Amino acid sequence: MHAFQVLFFKELRSFFFSSTAYVVIALFTFLNGWLFVGMVRAMQTHASPGSLIHNLLGSGWFWMGYLVLFPLITMRLFAEERKMGTIEGLFTAPVRTSEVLLAKYAASIVAYAAILLPLFLFFPAFYLITGEAGAFHSGAVIGSAVGLFLVGVFHLSIGIFASSLTANALVAAMMTFAMVMLHYFLGFLQNFGIIPDSMWSEFINYFSTVRHMEFLTEGLIDSRPVFYYISFSVVLLACTHHVLESRKWRS
Amino acid sequence: MIQAKSLTKRYSGRTAVDRISFEVEKGEIVGFLGPNGAGKSTTLRMLTCFLSASDGTATVAGFDIARDSLKVRQVIGYMPENVPLYPEMRVREYLCFRARLKGMRYRESISAVAEAMDTCSLQGVERKMIGTLSKGYRQRVGLADALVHKPELLILDEPTNGLDPSQIRQARDLVKELGEKHTILISTHILNEVEMTCNRVIIINQGKIKASDSPSTLIRRLHRPGQVSLEAIADSGALGKLRTIPGVSEVTSSETDDGWTRFQLTSNAECDVREPVFALATECGWRVRQLEMRRPSLEDAFVDLLTNEQSETASAD
Repeated sequence: MHAFQVLFFKELRSFFFSSTAYVVIALFTFLNGWLFVGMVRAMQTHASPGSLIHNLLGSGWFWMGYLVLFPLITMRLFAEERKMGTIEGLFTAPVRTSEVLLAKYAASIVAYAAILLPLFLFFPAFYLITGEAGAFHSGAVIGSAVGLFLVGVFHLSIGIFASSLTANALVAAMMTFAMVMLHYFLGFLQNFGIIPDSMWSEFINYFSTVRHMEFLTEGLIDSRPVFYYISFSVVLLACTHHVLESRKWRS
Repeated sequence: MIQAKSLTKRYSGRTAVDRISFEVEKGEIVGFLGPNGAGKSTTLRMLTCFLSASDGTATVAGFDIARDSLKVRQVIGYMPENVPLYPEMRVREYLCFRARLKGMRYRESISAVAEAMDTCSLQGVERKMIGTLSKGYRQRVGLADALVHKPELLILDEPTNGLDPSQIRQARDLVKELGEKHTILISTHILNEVEMTCNRVIIINQGKIKASDSPSTLIRRLHRPGQVSLEAIADSGALGKLRTIPGVSEVTSSETDDGWTRFQLTSNAECDVREPVFALATECGWRVRQLEMRRPSLEDAFVDLLTNEQSETASAD
């Protein structure tokens, strides 16, 4: 536990003491701000059944920016340690592999939350300025936060896994991006000639982030996506643990 | 302190470390010597639990490296080859991080870091970023890292690699000083360093231990012909006269730039021919300005061991 704490704070420092963190936060917030304004304008003229946050998070533009975050957050985690050789100092200190892994993972979740935080400040700010509370409701905000947390935790575990596989941060970033995109587009297979409500369609729906988010952003928290994302994250973390341990016996 | 029993590391199709067994007693400074690729780093990495052994076991301070790896790592202060450090951290920050990672509380770590920085003379640079430091300072930061949690055993993998001669001398003195408090296992290929600092040398080549003894015994065990050189102004029959000295097997001569003659005498390993040579010189009235015997060094012992090895394998083929 002690080692976990020390490593967790070290990772947080190395994230927040670098300028890239703020560039990423600023860019992502700017992108979403633009999208937010556009969405508000669109909803002024066109009636929409969904709330503002539902429409915002349902937009493909949001996802384009969002999916790029994960390689940026996770690419260095283990790849950099391997490249610099510091991994040797790390694992010859009296610490468990699991402590190192979980500390890095937890720190990446905090970094991810910090990047998303401004987005969630848009809504209270909008309310304060316009006095218009109807554009969003608490259920939608909580559901969206839970959804983004789940999807984020899952994507971060993909990223940390990719980072443990290579000594090159760029390769780790590309692997993460490819895997994250692949998973995201799995949900769109629906649009390519698959009969609605068939077995295949149900199967694909189970993997579809878009579909999960559709319900979550309306405030409908289903246990299936919760189980889906958490269990996949656990599996990926176990794989990462195994990769890290494999250095001992691999040739 | 360390007991290794037939420790083996096999990579696919290649045995990097082949059933090596050795012991290191508490308080010893042991040099781990071998050419590049001999398996030194692999052995040290197995002892520090970074790699696991394919076969065999080792205990460090009574703890098994496979079963009690956390306890083993607690008693070891390890400085890896090439001293990997985080370039974006400051020296004191880094050492504090390492001290706490190795299980120290915040308060303990502050005094421990101050002490380690003092031992490694890092006071001037404590607030500098590691990335901006020179090689010599980085090496010292690595060493301070290794000893910050006051380990019983220090394992240093090529600590003087890439240092300049004066830094090497400083590092050597530091290692000697640390040897008073810690048991040290040090891997290197700089031989005179080992000769000066270590109580015992383990020579390893192609994954096997070739010799394990004190430097002076290793040198004594060398059966090298004695080499004596004499610089003199002598008469023309000198070469013949020198050859008649019992024990001398070969004499060559060469002219120096300033008109003196240098004689190189080769003799049997056991007999010291300096005295008869001097007696002959005085008898014949030669003017002598130098009479010297070249002593074999650890380097000779090392090269000898390795070349024997090569010729053995060559003849086996």
